[in-house]
Amino acid sequence: METSFIVKDLDLFYGDKQALKKINMELYKNKVTAFIGPSGCGKSTFLRCLNRMNDLIEGCKIVGTIEKDGVNIYSSKTDIVDLRTKVGMVFQKPNPFPMSIFDNVAYGPRCQGLKDKKHLEEIVTKALKQAALYEEVKDRLNESALGLSGGQQQRLCIARCIAMEPEVILMDEPTSALDPIATAKIEELIEELKNDYTIIIVTHSMQQASRISDYTAFFLLGEVVEFDNTKLVFSTPKDKRTEDYITGRFG
Amino acid sequence: MQVNKKYIKKNKTIDSIYKYFFMAMAILASSFIVLLVLFVFTKGISPFLSGYEYGQVNFFDFLFGLTYRQDKGIYGVGFIIINTFISAFAALIISFPISVLTALFIVKIAPKNLSKVMQTIVELLASIPSIVYGVFAGGVITGIVKDLALLFGVSTAGGSSLLAVVILLAIMIFPTITSLSISAIQAVDKDLEQASLALGATKTQTNFKIVLIAAKSGIFAGAILGIGRAFGEATAVAMVAGNKLFGPTFNPFDITRTLTTTMLAGLKETSGLDYDIRFSVGLVLMVVIFVSNYILNLVKKKVGNM
Repeated sequence: METSFIVKDLDLFYGDKQALKKINMELYKNKVTAFIGPSGCGKSTFLRCLNRMNDLIEGCKIVGTIEKDGVNIYSSKTDIVDLRTKVGMVFQKPNPFPMSIFDNVAYGPRCQGLKDKKHLEEIVTKALKQAALYEEVKDRLNESALGLSGGQQQRLCIARCIAMEPEVILMDEPTSALDPIATAKIEELIEELKNDYTIIIVTHSMQQASRISDYTAFFLLGEVVEFDNTKLVFSTPKDKRTEDYITGRFG
Repeated sequence: MQVNKKYIKKNKTIDSIYKYFFMAMAILASSFIVLLVLFVFTKGISPFLSGYEYGQVNFFDFLFGLTYRQDKGIYGVGFIIINTFISAFAALIISFPISVLTALFIVKIAPKNLSKVMQTIVELLASIPSIVYGVFAGGVITGIVKDLALLFGVSTAGGSSLLAVVILLAIMIFPTITSLSISAIQAVDKDLEQASLALGATKTQTNFKIVLIAAKSGIFAGAILGIGRAFGEATAVAMVAGNKLFGPTFNPFDITRTLTTTMLAGLKETSGLDYDIRFSVGLVLMVVIFVSNYILNLVKKKVGNM
């Protein structure tokens, strides 16, 4: 199976505090990988290592390597902007920009210097269709994105992300701020998107992880306790701590 | 828990006493404004009424007149209104971009220590009394304007000019717009910035396309307060305006006259119509500020909704 990321001996420190300890993992292409674990276990922190969003946090230090296509993304040669166009991200809280729906989706391509109106329209339409939002918003593309419902806003954020045609989409608890119906729509969407993209999702919900993911990593106190095929993790966990967590004994 | 009924009753009484106390304070504060407007209005309107003791003034001659000469008893403020608009908006045009970019630098770009120092400087600038700005303008800005005018081969009245007024006002409203812009930029949701960066936008692109756009409503509020200060500043402006007798003034090296300087000049040495007419000018100034605030607020609403 092709890998998307190879993580080797990754340590992460916030000042003196170690938040991630010796992470080793291979993340596969065109699969959905879920990170589960209790709050503060480091799953979101690890996710943010994959597109270097942790660079924005002061006092954050990283040791070890994350290879993408054979190149360490933490080497000085890596261009962060280039990395982030290939590794997109969807956040916990829907965060559309205070501009029109069209401009939201066109934002990424425009930042890369694309100005041709026709080409932009094609990209926006395609991305909105892929995000299963087009039918709902096609008549009001020029209206503010802030007028959409929470679930629509989150699908807009996904559309905004896939407009860049990334290879990987990182999702940081994308449904935790949404109601069950909107959540179901996003989960359906993830199912569709995995044909074209590698998806890595952090989730609080174990049911969600078992429903949508192919692989699951269980994080605890900054370590990866178990990483395997989702079916195996949930049916026959190897580690006692994983078993305790997924059966609801803690967390 | 055993509830003490007497105690509850007492609390209720205290609640209602405080309610009336706060209401009294609010009424007292707002009544000052009402009193002030009423006083200026009755005083200001009096010269236009028949039976005015120093001779009735024609309201339209006053409002649209292009000459203001106390010595001849001609009081026309039409050109002064235009002058006031010119100097205030020119100051805003100069100061606005500088202020917004400074605020962006302080919040988003400068290292922490420098940012703190600069923010303190901006706050200090806001607290300098206008008379000090006036002395500075009279001593420094007029000198610069004079030299600049000589370069163009124009002579000035010792540097007192429209340009000097504009530069002075631009400096004076800079801290107001900057501090409000700082607050507005600080209030922008960090999630938006992160979303932009995660889409592969650079820091500069994020600052201009996301941060400033998201903060525009607050920044605009800063501009409104700034122009309010530019309209209302009297002391400092009077020290470099030159008080021209007719106009309007469009030449930046020519002297000018604003509504505030007209009200201030020789206030204590005069009486009769010349004294009363200043209240009329004050009334005009209040209307000018009210109208321009109203228009800017409409624009702000439109801009903010985009």
